[in-house]
Amino acid sequence: MSLAIANLSWGHPLPGGGWRQLFDGFNLSCQSGQFVVVIGNNGSGKSTLLNLIAGTLKVGGGTITLGDRPLHRYRDHRRARWLGRVMQNPLEGTCPGLTIAENLRLAERRRRSGLSASGLLGLRPSRGDRHRYRELLEQLGIPLAGRLDTLVGELSGGQRQTLSLVMATLGAPELLLLDEHTAALDPKAEATVMGLTEQLVRQLGATTFMVTHSLEQALRYGDRLVMLRDGQLIGDWSAGERAGLTPASLRGLYGSAIVGATEPNPADAPAAP
Amino acid sequence: MLTLWLGAYDQGLAYAGLALGTYLTLRVLNFPDLTVDGSFALGGGTAAVLITNGVPVPVALLVAFGFGALAGLVTGLIHTRLGVNDLFAGILTTTGLYSITLRLMGRSNIPLTDTPRGIDQLPDLSAGFDDEWGLALTLVVLGLVLLLALLLSTDFGLALRALGNNPTMARANGINQRRGLNIGIAAANGLVGLSGALVALFQGFADVTMGIGSLILGLGMVIIGESILRPRTVPVALIAAVAGAVVFRGLIAVALALGLEPVDLKLVTAVLLLVALAAGRLRIPGLSAQSKPEP
Repeated sequence: MSLAIANLSWGHPLPGGGWRQLFDGFNLSCQSGQFVVVIGNNGSGKSTLLNLIAGTLKVGGGTITLGDRPLHRYRDHRRARWLGRVMQNPLEGTCPGLTIAENLRLAERRRRSGLSASGLLGLRPSRGDRHRYRELLEQLGIPLAGRLDTLVGELSGGQRQTLSLVMATLGAPELLLLDEHTAALDPKAEATVMGLTEQLVRQLGATTFMVTHSLEQALRYGDRLVMLRDGQLIGDWSAGERAGLTPASLRGLYGSAIVGATEPNPADAPAAP
Repeated sequence: MLTLWLGAYDQGLAYAGLALGTYLTLRVLNFPDLTVDGSFALGGGTAAVLITNGVPVPVALLVAFGFGALAGLVTGLIHTRLGVNDLFAGILTTTGLYSITLRLMGRSNIPLTDTPRGIDQLPDLSAGFDDEWGLALTLVVLGLVLLLALLLSTDFGLALRALGNNPTMARANGINQRRGLNIGIAAANGLVGLSGALVALFQGFADVTMGIGSLILGLGMVIIGESILRPRTVPVALIAAVAGAVVFRGLIAVALALGLEPVDLKLVTAVLLLVALAAGRLRIPGLSAQSKPEP
């Protein structure tokens, strides 16, 4: 499903008084099934953008449209019908007091709230559910298939983030939001989770936004790379255009003005947005 | 002595609704609900008024559940719709409920001992034992535990547990937090109202102040039950709450048998709860499951 962000505005009060207008007339659109990687400095608006799309923050103005749905008009739990999300902190994306099977069941039911009358029918997760989850985890090569009754709070950070990723892709979401989802992991767990990310994103075919601070990831994954600074789009490269970039050139752009105005390394210069 | 224990057992079962309600709000929803102080007395008062006016006991118990649930819903709505802090929302409702209960009762105390439509109306399933209502109460509480265990094992219950466990994650998976809290708090206070009605029946009167300290009492019961059974699953946690209520009343019975006056009971309650809470830090064998001492 295509995503269109048009004329988006959002700001927040500053601790010492005053106001910071982070997004002011921000526009970004992407095609259905596109895997977009978002980079930028701290405070550039990457995670805020994801929060505005997910509905955990309320837009100040403008529209966010998924296909023909005005996403910005729905509350966050309603948007979850079409959205899968993996948070930065492995502790945030799962319920530590529930078992692996129970967490998977919750995610699978995302299109219905679970609080409707139909949610009272049948004990969950059922034997059939559990069989399905075991198969799914085995297919994905995740060594948790035999531990469906383990409390998620007993898993390592990497295991929890792996589970969080699988949960985000259950229930056929049309849009996947990954918010620095490997930032808290060690290199080995990061490689495992990123490998799985690519596999699941391709399998699912969902439009995907991945925020990252890792320039290596930015240059390796996704169909498109965008760079934000102070709520503005300062770089936008297709996979082909991205081939000319290096981590060093991207680092240079972080500190520079808008791409096209001053470029630190003309040889690495990307196409201006 | 047997009468003392059977009395404590019956009283414990009468308080089981309070323990289960507290488990639901505090452990499942992670919501510190002070409404219980008001809804417990509301349930007791409502039942007393209805029973003295000739309404059958089972109907009075159902109405007490309904009124308790309504009180819980009010707290839920104040918190979820008006954005009032959880503790304040409960205090506001409880404060208002004091007047409502008093209005409903017409006076601060209604005795139930002289009424022929009191506790005697419960079916006598004693089967020759001394304990006239023990079996009936046991069946009622077993039914409640079974119902709650089933409810919390459905998608609906899973959603409620997720809300208490990680609200951000729950919302990100399509669960309506407002609705979940409202339903959960209402159900919990329904149980508390029912418990208030049963306690009024057993002690032979309803008093407008009978709810004071209910939250701490419920918490004590839940913690004592958890310390004994160390539950890892929902059904065991529910049984632990009931067991906690019975053990707690047993300890109170022991205190009374040792010569303490009824006026000392609140102090005994506070000390018992303190012991249960501090058990982890003090490494008291058998009671140290809940909290690990800080290094």
